[in-house]
Amino acid sequence: MPQPISHIEQLDEHLVEVVRALHGAVKQGVSHADDAKIADKAIEDCKEILDVIMAGSVKEWLN
Amino acid sequence: MFTDKIELKDLDKMDPEYRDLIGRVLTIQADCEIGGPHLYVEKMLPGAPTKLDQLIVARTAAEEIDHFRKVARVAGDMGVDVSFVLSQPNEKRFVDSFRGLITTWEDNAVFGFLIDRIGRYQLEEFYDCSYLPLQRILPDIVTEELGHIEYGYNKTRELLQKGDAQKERVQRAIDYWYVRALDMFGRSGSKRAERYRYWGLKRRTNEQAREDYIKEVNPILLSMGLNIPDPLKGRRYL
Repeated sequence: MPQPISHIEQLDEHLVEVVRALHGAVKQGVSHADDAKIADKAIEDCKEILDVIMAGSVKEWLN
Repeated sequence: MFTDKIELKDLDKMDPEYRDLIGRVLTIQADCEIGGPHLYVEKMLPGAPTKLDQLIVARTAAEEIDHFRKVARVAGDMGVDVSFVLSQPNEKRFVDSFRGLITTWEDNAVFGFLIDRIGRYQLEEFYDCSYLPLQRILPDIVTEELGHIEYGYNKTRELLQKGDAQKERVQRAIDYWYVRALDMFGRSGSKRAERYRYWGLKRRTNEQAREDYIKEVNPILLSMGLNIPDPLKGRRYL
């Protein structure tokens, strides 16, 4: 049996949470697409989450 | 030709070439999955034409991140760490198409329409492949890729309905991405592609997959009133 990499479980769990949070924000925005304030807040939330992922500081996520 | 089906527990018994090929293809696939959001999130999340489109950009990125996660998990379980691609600058991406930045809505729409379709083609190569952990993650990923392709197609059509100037901009985007799409299949006659086929990891040669793509995409372009770009102009991998 191959040896898995040490942080795979942690990375997997972290990304599951990230994706869940993103989908939650998108859902909130889409279901209130007519309400500019709520939609803008949802977009802002998505941006905040995605900025962290795009920065790619994996070590920080896992600490 | 290798026809067995391999589980993770059997991997140690396999030829090193088999393990190397899986590790390589998973690394490239992971890079492409996360490479998409790195191309379009920066400019398209704030720049999409409507709030709904902005949210769909975010949803698409979420799905691609999840695809990355699934591929990274299969790789990580076999001891291959692909997490370095999360912080890889765009210019170092494995595949040329991911080495820039999408700055216009036309490019974003055409990227979904033409390049996410390549993603589907690459994933379809692994249908019924010999490595079962890879095969198992495919259905959900492909379903979501189909959604990205359809969204890209619909947005491209919407843009085409906005007059001649807009049509010219779409055609420019098509001209740019079409040749990159064809290059993404790799070189014709590739020896490595033959080894992937030998080990039951891929179904088609690079040139067969490229030909299938052309047969699928060209009629769609024509039906949209677009010109088919010169398939050789600017190509790097023939």
